[in-house]
Amino acid sequence: MKNTLLDIVNISKVYRMGEITVEALQNISLKIYEKEIIVILGPSGSGKSTLLNIIGGMDKPTSGQVYFYDQDLTKLNDQGLTRYRRKEIGFVFQFYNLIADLTALENVELAADLVENPLSSIEALKKVGLDQRKTHFPSQMSGGEQQRVAIARAIVKKPRLLLCDEPTGALDLETGKKVLSLLRKINEELQTTIVIVTHNSAISFMAHRIVRMGSGKIIEIKENQNPVLPERIEW
Amino acid sequence: MKILFIKLIRTIWKTKGQFLAMVSIVTIGISIYIAITTGFYNLRHSRDIFYQENNFADYYFQVIKAPEKITNKIEALPEVQKVSGRIQQDVPVIKNDKKRGTARLTSYNLPIDKAVNRIQLLNGRFFDENPLSGDIEVMIDPQHLSANNLSMFDKITIIADEKQVPLTIVGTATGPEFTYLIKDAATLVPDPQKFGVIMIPTIQAQKILKMDGQINQIIVKFKPGIDQEKAAQKIEKILEPYGNLASFPREQQLSHAALQGELDGLLTTSRFLPVLFLLVAAAAQFVLIRRMVQNQQTEIGILKALGYSGRSLIIHFTGYALLVSVVGIIAGIILGLIFASAISDLYAQFFNLPAAIGGINVKTIIYSIILSLSTGIIAGISATLSIVKINPAESMRLKPPVVRSHSLLEKWPWLWQKIDTSWRMGLRTVNRNRIRSTITFAGVVISVALLVISMFMNDSIDYMLDQHFNQEVNYDFMVRFSNPVKNSELGILYDIKGVNKVEPLLEIPVKIRYKDKRENALIIGLIPTSGMQFPVQKNGHKLSIPEEGILLNEQTAKKLNVTVGDVITVEPLINKTKSKTRELKIMGINHQLMGGNSFVSLKQANQLLNEANTANGAMLKADRGKFSLIEKELSNITGISSISSRQSERDNFMSMLDSLIYFIGIMLTFAIILGFAIIYNSSILSFNERRREFASLQAMGFFKRDISNLLLKETVLEAAPGIILGLPAGYIMAHSYVKSVSTDLYSMPVVISPLTYFLAALGGIIFVLIGHYWGIRRLKDLNPHEVLKNID
Repeated sequence: MKNTLLDIVNISKVYRMGEITVEALQNISLKIYEKEIIVILGPSGSGKSTLLNIIGGMDKPTSGQVYFYDQDLTKLNDQGLTRYRRKEIGFVFQFYNLIADLTALENVELAADLVENPLSSIEALKKVGLDQRKTHFPSQMSGGEQQRVAIARAIVKKPRLLLCDEPTGALDLETGKKVLSLLRKINEELQTTIVIVTHNSAISFMAHRIVRMGSGKIIEIKENQNPVLPERIEW
Repeated sequence: MKILFIKLIRTIWKTKGQFLAMVSIVTIGISIYIAITTGFYNLRHSRDIFYQENNFADYYFQVIKAPEKITNKIEALPEVQKVSGRIQQDVPVIKNDKKRGTARLTSYNLPIDKAVNRIQLLNGRFFDENPLSGDIEVMIDPQHLSANNLSMFDKITIIADEKQVPLTIVGTATGPEFTYLIKDAATLVPDPQKFGVIMIPTIQAQKILKMDGQINQIIVKFKPGIDQEKAAQKIEKILEPYGNLASFPREQQLSHAALQGELDGLLTTSRFLPVLFLLVAAAAQFVLIRRMVQNQQTEIGILKALGYSGRSLIIHFTGYALLVSVVGIIAGIILGLIFASAISDLYAQFFNLPAAIGGINVKTIIYSIILSLSTGIIAGISATLSIVKINPAESMRLKPPVVRSHSLLEKWPWLWQKIDTSWRMGLRTVNRNRIRSTITFAGVVISVALLVISMFMNDSIDYMLDQHFNQEVNYDFMVRFSNPVKNSELGILYDIKGVNKVEPLLEIPVKIRYKDKRENALIIGLIPTSGMQFPVQKNGHKLSIPEEGILLNEQTAKKLNVTVGDVITVEPLINKTKSKTRELKIMGINHQLMGGNSFVSLKQANQLLNEANTANGAMLKADRGKFSLIEKELSNITGISSISSRQSERDNFMSMLDSLIYFIGIMLTFAIILGFAIIYNSSILSFNERRREFASLQAMGFFKRDISNLLLKETVLEAAPGIILGLPAGYIMAHSYVKSVSTDLYSMPVVISPLTYFLAALGGIIFVLIGHYWGIRRLKDLNPHEVLKNID
């Protein structure tokens, strides 16, 4: 029996852009279980980023509920959502978004300072294999290295849910694979639930479950009985 | 090009807060420039016309008595253009309320047209030299008339030659030497109720002062371009047999010196303040436009790819600075002209200048336009030169993170390790944006220094008042006698009810010589144990009065180039027949904020006059509740020529300070606007360029207040040193300001109280916080999902 970490119940999201209304999400329901890697696949405009925003507590649905265990995220105010992100969520972005004025280690420390019982920052850097480059600034590192620092920064808080938005989108194939292996390793070692949003279907081979989206709707949810090691994925 | 202009207008609309902040700095700079420079030109123009129309004298010669015809001999000198001989003497006035005042009786011959220091009739008519009624007709200055509620054909009574003489007022008039009417250098502000000028026919003055055919003052206008000092020496030689008491050039004439001091102050302020504001405005524009160019690299690349030249884009971005200047100029001119007319009105009240003082100075306006446009253009072009180097193809690619480097502090890891991560971010940001941080820092220094300067005058004046009215003098009344009296006769003053203590005083105008230098001075003889007047040193410590020798005034000592231990020659200028020139040793140097008196013991003073136990004045200590009664009683004693009350002198001084409040208020407002604008600009820039970074922090779980604190730390790193350094900078600026406006007659101490420093620092903290939070107020709209959007 799998434990549900996040239960998304019939949510919709409508954006009003001037005189046009855009239905970014339409009646979406999805359960995310503990310890799984789930890949949300879809072309741009399919609503996957909107869904990730809502899961990550950065946006609220127009209707429907999102339960994190028993807590309904749609009932939380700004402060409550910030607390939720602080404690439960780790983010990895396509363009890394490291703080340019901080070194690798300091970027990790910045996140560690937010929670009560974080990993040691240097441990987190070790996990991503960058402890030797702790005093480097983002401008002194390659894209792959920056993304690994971003992952260290995300996991140092020991979040229960790691959200990755096109984590390999700005990287070449080899570097991208290294980043995905690192995510898998984290899932195994720290038992962190990982949600990866991407338009790259190859990545879905490493997932336990695959969610396919299109035009604001879930098209299919597929169990992957035999996840492939990221090193073997090609695209 | 039209499209680029539309883009410029949209950019301004988007950054309207920053645009207005910079416009306000330019506006303030320009308005100060226009107001003060217009005030300066108007005042100087009005003065010059007045001086010229009325043959303002170049040199003054005071004698005991000389025949009227002596003027012919002086006029014959080749250097001399015009000479007038007249009687000028201070006489007691018995006012309507029976209290005493002093009038400067000044005589004129009709027709007045050719006289040096001619007077202009303001109201009523000129006096008749020998009216049929047998009255003595006079004109008085308008201030004295209105302060004492007098009207035409009223009588005023003076005491001359120990007799009461009624005079009939037939008009009011003023002259170039009466623009700022004060009795002596020790009185800083006019007291029209107690002091005025009476203009009288010479023949009548001679009659009532028993000086038939005689004059006691010769005023001279020289031909242009001659050596005035040499000419003055020739005249002194001619006057030698008549007791040449004193001679001084126009620069030492009291009302001229006051007017000149004001003009000098205006000129200094007009050169120094606007330049500060325009420099800050230029620096702020430089930073903003440079940042805009950096942020719009992609757009610039696209425009270049489309075929726009680098030059047209430089013009486009410089246009921003130019529009700041243009709007600033328009607002500055309007505000400046409003201020200018207020200043001119104030001067018209302050100085008795009949020529219209208002008016617009076109030259000033043109200068202000050139000044502001050129700073705007320079700021704009220097910030946009990098546009030329932008490569269209490169600029459209994704940019790598901006290169960061370790700051200086990181060379000491033991220190760096102790610094909190958020402070490290701040330190690195400051290190990275060195130019911007330096400009913000400098802007804060200037604003805080201006806050100090706005308030220091109040402190200095408070200090002067306290020093003079509480430390240097302790009497309640000082009376002067028409003729010297024996000390024993002072008993009559004790008989007045409420008088507790009386001390004698002997004032002697003297000429002091040392080697080839000479100076006129006033020596005051006091009993060495005096509890009424205390000569003090520069540090405020009291000096004891030596039995023998002299405590020489600092200003006099400076002019004679003497110091303690030197022996000077002192020649009394009163009782010439009996008094003796003596050599006195300088026992100390005394410092006086108001006036320039030197001190000797009463015994020493008597020796100078070859007398014993005489006094020509007395100081009284009395019961507080009986001041008014005592003043009335004193006024009834005929031998008393003048009465001054410490209380009313102080009150009069205070009443003149009311207008200072407006000045302080305006300066404070300007300083705070400047500081606010600088901090606001820097905060909004900092926030805007790192929105994405902050959004990612927010996604990570930072509260908005955490991000706000982060930004605050950066601002604090730039502003706190600025506030701290602004305090001594204010002190230095106050010093240089005072130095530039000080004259022989007027100097102001630079005193800044701890409270002023505290308030300036507090003001600094307030404008920093307001500017900061106003600058980052968009933080509340920041959304964490902004970070997920693609980088443009």
